Amino acid sequence: MTPPGNEREGRLASRAVQATFLIALIALWYLATTRWRVSPLLLPNPVVVARDFWHILKTGEFIGDLRVTLTELAAAFAIAASSGVVVGYVISRSQYRMRVLEPLFAGIYSVPIILFLPLYVLFFGLGPASKIALGATIGFFPIALNTIAGFGYVDKMLVVAARSMGASDVQLFRYVLLPAALPIIVTGMRMGFTVALLSIIGSETIASLAGLGHRIVHLAEGMEMAPMFAYIAFVVAIAAILNALVSVLEARGKRP
Amino acid sequence: MTAVRPWRRALRRPWVARIAVIVLLLSVWEIAARWWVDPIFLSPPSRVFASLPAVFDTRGVPAALRITFWELAVAFALSVVIGLAIGLAVGLKPFARRSFMPIILLLYGTPQVTILPLFILYFGIGPASKIAFGVSHGFFPIVMTIVAGVQNIKPILLTSARAMGASRWQTLRYVVFPHMIPSFFAGMRLAMTGVLLGVLLAELYVSTAGIGYFTTLFTQNFDPTRLLGLISVLAAMAIALNEIVRRAEVHFGRWHTE
Amino acid sequence: MTIRVDRMTSSNVAIRIRGISHQFGEEGDARHVRALRDTSLDVARGELLCLIGPSGCGKSTLLNVIGGLMTPTAGAVEVAGKRVAGPMPRDIAFVFQENALFPWNTVFENVNLGMVFQGVPRAEREARAQRALEAVGLKDFAQHYPGQLSGGMRQRAALARALSLETGILLMDEPFGALDEQTRMILGEDLSVLLARADKTIVFVTHSLGEATFLADRVAVFSARPGTIKKIIKVDEPHPRKPDFVTSAKFTAIRNELYALLHDEIRKTVAETSAEPPP
Repeated sequence: MTPPGNEREGRLASRAVQATFLIALIALWYLATTRWRVSPLLLPNPVVVARDFWHILKTGEFIGDLRVTLTELAAAFAIAASSGVVVGYVISRSQYRMRVLEPLFAGIYSVPIILFLPLYVLFFGLGPASKIALGATIGFFPIALNTIAGFGYVDKMLVVAARSMGASDVQLFRYVLLPAALPIIVTGMRMGFTVALLSIIGSETIASLAGLGHRIVHLAEGMEMAPMFAYIAFVVAIAAILNALVSVLEARGKRP
Repeated sequence: MTAVRPWRRALRRPWVARIAVIVLLLSVWEIAARWWVDPIFLSPPSRVFASLPAVFDTRGVPAALRITFWELAVAFALSVVIGLAIGLAVGLKPFARRSFMPIILLLYGTPQVTILPLFILYFGIGPASKIAFGVSHGFFPIVMTIVAGVQNIKPILLTSARAMGASRWQTLRYVVFPHMIPSFFAGMRLAMTGVLLGVLLAELYVSTAGIGYFTTLFTQNFDPTRLLGLISVLAAMAIALNEIVRRAEVHFGRWHTE
Repeated sequence: MTIRVDRMTSSNVAIRIRGISHQFGEEGDARHVRALRDTSLDVARGELLCLIGPSGCGKSTLLNVIGGLMTPTAGAVEVAGKRVAGPMPRDIAFVFQENALFPWNTVFENVNLGMVFQGVPRAEREARAQRALEAVGLKDFAQHYPGQLSGGMRQRAALARALSLETGILLMDEPFGALDEQTRMILGEDLSVLLARADKTIVFVTHSLGEATFLADRVAVFSARPGTIKKIIKVDEPHPRKPDFVTSAKFTAIRNELYALLHDEIRKTVAETSAEPPP
């Protein structure tokens, strides 16, 4: 058994290791580009990257691309969420439908759906429509699957108890099914959001004319390493902020 | 007693119903492609299936499929080896775990697709970048499941071994490793999903001889027939690979509890 | 065979426990617990000594200290002439309450593995394992996995593993605690028969008054936390103990005495734990 004093020391020591690791990494990066003459076409100077990052923020030149990406995300998620919940609910109402369709959905989801991007590009073109369509397709599955699970596996005892007290269908849905299913559905929504975001950035990288993913590719093709690194950092930050927001919403949604 | 129609009875079995659903979807696709949608955008499944030989006859496609499969295999193998090494290094020492797991989790949470262009810049447009990108997606789940597997050994098993005089090496070999195996196989299943995603993403981004080259070619030529054919083959490959790892997990990844 | 405990000399003392105190955490810490207070005891060779007391009185802690799994904050234990400073797999074997068998190994492999750890040469292991499994009645289940066995059979397997190590001392920490009453009864009777034939010193922790009375040569009753030995009761009845011992007047008298000793300590423990603020 670790004496409590040691435990606190242990935690501080771990934090120290993490900090040292990160500082060492940045130091190595700086040295590589200044002292050791690594080509700036390979690795840009961190100071320049930081300056470019700040420049991007200050001038707001990210706005155009950010708007494209976020609109695509919003549209894709809206479609995925609404269709996923409705389809999931309808399927969950029947044991038979659940047994037939749930494994089917899970099976389809296990294939990397990004494979179908060329098809969507062929059909919808290089514009936002293909990204939205793909994002909606990929985001649909975790939401639908979690909705099926949420509504379909409600503890039978709760339903029996409510019915025995005379609950109507509407009351059963509102006071038993929905509260029971909500935490699971909310988790599914978070997963759907994350996956839609990743697929949208991915499809912007692969085949697009606008958006944050496209911006990074554009800079890469122009070998503009410093701005590219800055934009990568920017996108990582945006993704982190969005995920954090969604996690907070998820926690709120799961509060009883 | 009313006689139940035989097809109704057959439909009661879930797997029959699933096939019926797939057939239904294929039929909708067929009808839509033939009568509603412009043929440069969509091709009916009958034509796609009939043209599969033509896809394989297209010069370079079989080689591209072989290359892609090879990229997947190498990426998976490397993911397992690297994931195992890091997972054990971090998981076996509580201090290392406390220090490095947060960093690993942070890296795992970032959208790796943003640095796909970087991978291409560093590893070139050949198979190396596809393998590298696949590995960077695949080794994380292995690290996480191994660390988790080591962490949730019931303390009493370790106490038991210590009381019976087990050396550190004996404890590792006879207690820690066997305990970790189910987690390891679960990790491999997730790693395969990651590797598929990474390699295919990289292929679709830029490819000179892999399947990404041909998906771009068929797309630019507005050839939905061959595009769908190629995608179907790839999807089938993905399903097969996933299934292999899943079966391995079921077979090796459990202790004989009934 | 009755143990003449009144004539304990240094030659027939198997375990010498002197002044054991143990606390968890530092003074003033929120999680500070004084588990044991100045406990001393001699365990005679070949006797079965039960430790009984209210929850949290330190009996399991004492067992771990005796077995070298824990170093006490004060005091020392001597076994086979040596001071206990860590696990002594050649002299002491443990049987824990549950889940100590490796689930990925068969019963036979589990028993075998104990001997691998102890360092028994390969040639002897098979024979010893067979003997141990036969002694606990699991010969036909050697190739089964723990997950396929009932709780009672798993504990038999754990016992077989401990027996195969052929140590002089057996430490058992509520080995039947997770089992139902009927299984406990059967296992208790079987244990008594088995130990009458073997020449082992056993320290046995239990919560059950009946189990202590049935199995023990002596019962050490612990006080509430911080625990120390309140009284030692002798059970003067030859091994193997017959089932009808349980209904005898002698049994009832001893059990009643244990009850009287324990009741107040249990009440004290419950009062203390409900008065403690939640963690």
